[in-house]
Amino acid sequence: MKIPKPCKTSKTWIAAGTLGLLSVTATAQAAVAPEALVGPVADYKLYVLDNLEQLVTHTEDFTAAIEAGDLAKAKALYAPTRVYYERIEPIAELFADLDVSIDAREDDYEQGVEDPDFTGFHRLEYGLFHDASTDGMKTYAQGLMADVEELDSRVQALTFPPETVVGGAAALMEEVAATKISGEEDRYSRTDLWDFQGNVDGAREIFELFRPLAAQEDADFVARVEDNFDDVEKTLADYRLDPDDPQAGFESYDEVSDADRRALTGPVTVLAEDLSTLRGLLGLN
Amino acid sequence: MTRTAAQLAPPSPRAMRLGLVLSLLLMIVALGVFTLSLKAVQPVGDSDYIVNVTATGCQPDQLEVAAGRRTFTVVNQSDRAIEWEIIDGVMVLAERENIAPGLRQPLTATLKAGDYVMTCGLLSNPQGALHVRASESDAEASPLPATAFIGPLAEYRVYTTLQLRKLQASAGDLRDAIATDDLEAARQAFRQARRIDLHLAMPIGLYSDLDQRLNAHADDFEKRGEDPEFVGFHRLAEGLFTDESTAGLNAIADRLVTDVDTLAARLKSASIPPAQLADGTARVLETWLDHHRDDRTIGERDLDDLVALTEGADKIVSLLSPLLERQSPDTLQTLQTQLNSLQQELPTASGSSTSGQGDADGLLRATDAVAKSLAGINQALTLEG
Repeated sequence: MKIPKPCKTSKTWIAAGTLGLLSVTATAQAAVAPEALVGPVADYKLYVLDNLEQLVTHTEDFTAAIEAGDLAKAKALYAPTRVYYERIEPIAELFADLDVSIDAREDDYEQGVEDPDFTGFHRLEYGLFHDASTDGMKTYAQGLMADVEELDSRVQALTFPPETVVGGAAALMEEVAATKISGEEDRYSRTDLWDFQGNVDGAREIFELFRPLAAQEDADFVARVEDNFDDVEKTLADYRLDPDDPQAGFESYDEVSDADRRALTGPVTVLAEDLSTLRGLLGLN
Repeated sequence: MTRTAAQLAPPSPRAMRLGLVLSLLLMIVALGVFTLSLKAVQPVGDSDYIVNVTATGCQPDQLEVAAGRRTFTVVNQSDRAIEWEIIDGVMVLAERENIAPGLRQPLTATLKAGDYVMTCGLLSNPQGALHVRASESDAEASPLPATAFIGPLAEYRVYTTLQLRKLQASAGDLRDAIATDDLEAARQAFRQARRIDLHLAMPIGLYSDLDQRLNAHADDFEKRGEDPEFVGFHRLAEGLFTDESTAGLNAIADRLVTDVDTLAARLKSASIPPAQLADGTARVLETWLDHHRDDRTIGERDLDDLVALTEGADKIVSLLSPLLERQSPDTLQTLQTQLNSLQQELPTASGSSTSGQGDADGLLRATDAVAKSLAGINQALTLEG
């Protein structure tokens, strides 16, 4: 059978039609099915609950040391306790009142350190590292413990908003870019690298949970993000006190060379930008 | 006369040129004004509000907008980086962080009618008030977006995962207590395991084989209590509570542990269809009712069962509440009222020996009302597309 040759115009129409069809199918395939997000969102909540449990236990030890007047122990426990808060910040920050009482910095208040409402980790940091004393810290310690327990019970009851979960990866890296590289977060304890690692852990967890879905949409994006995470973690690893023991922690942020601070800025900024597209990629905008 | 003549006379070339220049100038001015007006109008268009954050607070510090998707432009007029948030109670609804001094950043949020708080730079600054009034588009609920069930289903998966961990632990305790012939410990572990089993009655109901092995009654089998296929919770209860003995229960308890493990493995990757949340929960309440419709009194363990089923239903209602509130507030209110009355009819603590003789009529009516309401709510929760 001889197939009639289409004339030029109809050819163009067919081409256009095919293109149209192609783009329609492409979009249809591209969309991530909403139900595919259920598992990763649930797994993320389990991750957060796990970290909250650790936060509660570590805060118990940290605040007990303060109440017992054990300055050395309290100082040693400050950073390892905060890490769990830093990892889950996208969710913890949802509770505005607790985020303020647990993690506000003196710059958030007109009267700075003297402000009577200034409480939480950074108020304790000031007492322990700047004043080098546990005097007068008992009330702040008890307040922190109560706030952490309250946070735990609120998060348990919270249905995690998927947009917040997916957007949390970028939020954490923005946090790093805005307040960690500058070294302003833990200005008295100089334990910024602990927080830094906590934020990166939290961001990477979210990214890893959604990675299989993101890879279906944009494999290059996934590879680029992996590379940048690796770069950041490699630089961080150079400052670990014991490369084989993550619990040993990090050197003081004062030890971080200007060159390394600059080297961190690049991948952190690109990560923040890249990860901010994850929500759209997964159909959550 | 002369006037007419003057009007008719053609303008001098000089006047023409002057007029042309003038009109050109006017056009330029008009264009300029037009552009300026565009610039001025754009940010305060229909859905756009400007909030200036100064060193001491928000300007304006009172804002009223209509419900819906609204865009705010936050201008940092203070000399340090700020964040701006819309807070609902204690929850942050939307936020823009790290706005540098002198910069402006847009923030878009979907707002329901109600009163919110705006944070305004320093925490020591007074907060602003944001009043969202109901808009007409609110009246007719739009279909739920396809992503609406991700949150509730994920939260339900967290719930089932955590409940299953407890169920596996107490099923193990039950097996061990039976193996060591400790009747009291076995009864205790049974009550704990059974309570969680019924919290999960809806998802278990999705697997008929497991449901039968865990939850079938003796009456479901040809040879009733003597049937070798009769295993699971009711078989164990017969031994522990009716015969008051652990004799012959070892194999049954082992089987229960295996079945609970199978359940955990299956639910780990199961995707529960959204409609099952309400429909499935209605169904398990109706199943309980089917066994008790003609009862004058409800026995202690049957009452415990209903307590556990109601706890499971309560979790489902709490998951669907935000969606129902948006789609059909009346349906939600009815459901919540009915659930409250059922909870009041029930003994407060399960597992303890209560009178065990609840007012059967009242209980049956209250349970029936909740089941019927649950069965009807999917109509209000239609998905888009």
